[in-house]
Amino acid sequence: MTPAPSTGAAPASAAARAREPARGGGDAYEDVLVASHLTRRFGDRVAVDDVSFHIAPGEAYGLLGPNGAGKTTTIRLVCGLLSPDDGSIEVAGIDVTAGATRAKARIGYVPQEVSLYPDLTARENLAFFGRLYRLSGSALRARVDEVLELVDLTDRADDRVDAYSGGMRRRLNIGASLLHRPELLVLDEPTVGVDPQSRHAIMESIRALGSSGLAVLYTTHYMEEAERLCDRVGIIDRGRLVAEGTRRELVARVGERDRILLSASGSLGSFAAACRSMEGIDSVDVSDSTVELLARDGRLRLPTVLAAASSAGASVRSVEVVEPDLEAVFLHLTGTALRE
Amino acid sequence: MHPVVAIALKDLRQRLRDRSAWVLGFIAPMAVAGLISVAFGGAQSFHTSVAVVDDDHGAIATGFTQFLRSPDLHDLLTVRTVSSRADAQSKVADGVLGAAFVIPAGFSDAVTAGSSEPITVLGSVDATVAAQVARSLAESFTAHLEGVQLSVRTAVAAGAPASSVAALAAQASAQPLPEQVQPQASGARTLTAVSYYAPAMGTFFMFFAIGFGSRGWFLERSGGTLERLSVAPLGIGAVLAGKSLATFVYGAASLGTVAVVSSLLFGADWGPPPVVAALVLALALTLVGLTALVITLARTERQAEGIASILTFGLVLLGGNFVFIGQAPDAVRALARLTPNGWALRAFTDLAGGAPWTAAVGPLLAVLAFAVATSALAFALRRRVLAR
Repeated sequence: MTPAPSTGAAPASAAARAREPARGGGDAYEDVLVASHLTRRFGDRVAVDDVSFHIAPGEAYGLLGPNGAGKTTTIRLVCGLLSPDDGSIEVAGIDVTAGATRAKARIGYVPQEVSLYPDLTARENLAFFGRLYRLSGSALRARVDEVLELVDLTDRADDRVDAYSGGMRRRLNIGASLLHRPELLVLDEPTVGVDPQSRHAIMESIRALGSSGLAVLYTTHYMEEAERLCDRVGIIDRGRLVAEGTRRELVARVGERDRILLSASGSLGSFAAACRSMEGIDSVDVSDSTVELLARDGRLRLPTVLAAASSAGASVRSVEVVEPDLEAVFLHLTGTALRE
Repeated sequence: MHPVVAIALKDLRQRLRDRSAWVLGFIAPMAVAGLISVAFGGAQSFHTSVAVVDDDHGAIATGFTQFLRSPDLHDLLTVRTVSSRADAQSKVADGVLGAAFVIPAGFSDAVTAGSSEPITVLGSVDATVAAQVARSLAESFTAHLEGVQLSVRTAVAAGAPASSVAALAAQASAQPLPEQVQPQASGARTLTAVSYYAPAMGTFFMFFAIGFGSRGWFLERSGGTLERLSVAPLGIGAVLAGKSLATFVYGAASLGTVAVVSSLLFGADWGPPPVVAALVLALALTLVGLTALVITLARTERQAEGIASILTFGLVLLGGNFVFIGQAPDAVRALARLTPNGWALRAFTDLAGGAPWTAAVGPLLAVLAFAVATSALAFALRRRVLAR
């Protein structure tokens, strides 16, 4: 049922695949979201080209790519706002195209822009969106209170949204998608244009939701967010999913190496020579009082490197291991920087 | 609660938080109907001051003054006497008098001799109705005199002795004036201004809901909430149904409130309540169709606003909401039949005039046909909306 990712993507982790659904929804399924060979064209332009991925319960999956890469189109396909020209999408075991209404009931969608009614209060907004999912009466009131608590807006619940700060609106925007306890939370670049403090708060709340068993599909063009929040990342460029996996898997896949930066004194030449002969060290560069090593699995090599320094008579004052980030992976895979 | 109802209630809540919705939907139509009621209320109890300049001082001139002061005309006229034509002219020009009659010297003698001297009526452009009334009264009096003259001559020609002319004249004068022509509507009652303008203004302001509804749709779209609604397990049809229901309820509540309040406060006669209710609901359905049509035709909120305004003012101008359509030329009356409000007004005025409820069936069907036609057109064009 779960397809292999398209272009050379790494397989899903066995642990993730083996997890059971966070909540029962009627249909038996392993993965909350299964997107298979999705293709969507707008005229001659192929916005999404044979994209496949899956998300297990409790897993946070990031779609990372620059603007125009196809992230939003993919999300719109997942949410049933667009129909694929080819391929299929299942949410909680339900085909989104054939059973749109049932599938949509399992999805919580957080649009890129704040999508609330500014002339209604937070409570009225939440109650309205709850009613769309057939919540009513005391159950609705209780759930609205829970969500207000969750997004930390209980004190301002009866204020109109147009009196809110940007960060409060963003939090409420997320809260409005949680009322019906979805199994899949889809967030379309929810931190665009948000100040750092609010961004941090949003990231923390999404992380908390993920740890509660909710599957999260998160699109961003901020590499830091994908690294911090997502269990697995799919890199999308020009409509194609060029790679996916955990950050470490992606880094390993493209062969990027860690940099070990040592600030040292003493016989740096002997130390450098010792390093060059070590397994897993690809290059050594010495300048002034700094030795820079390019290494595979840098943290694993560190004890050996430090022992070599001691043996060579070099005195190490500080050490830093810089792991390659997704920016480097993206650059390697696409030939362009992520923010271009 | 069904999501369709939830969407409708949300829309109504938002609409009623907007003061302009209260003003346009409820306050303005009642204020205009009230103003019209006050402005035209006097038309049913017209009264003016007139003066008689009697340069004749004969018996018939005195008789004319007595005629003007007769109990029959007491509610219509206050009669004064002024000394000269110049004085009368000055008072008419100043608005102190509505009109003045100048009876020339030798008037009575001329009438007795069988000839005639005209009574001059002085009027003002500022009091045209008073001048018309005065002219009518003078013409009525002289017509009566001519009738008496004709009767006496006929009697003399038939052999009555010349000595009996005075007695015959007195006898003929005692006869009442010929029966007056009294205009009346096809029904049993006369249509009052407020009974026309209350539904006319109510319908006019009700049509502003087209702008509210269509703008609301585009605001949902630009604010991203339409996308959120589309992700909910409803289908776009339910969203449209909810928004249409809100427009329907707002329109019906607006016109219904105007009907009730104008009836209770200003004495407007709308007709039998069940028939009026049916017409109000049919108009509200038309509102839904027109709103849907504007949504399909416009691409932006600004366009929707423009199209809704053109539609609203076009319909009310053609439909006769600003003028008594019954007094309009044939071509204008024919154009009014191309509009739902024109048909509705026709039904309201017929009912207010005392016509039976069956008189409203044709207009009701016409309004419903308009609702169906606009809704069908909007449905046929729905892809324009869904494609955006």
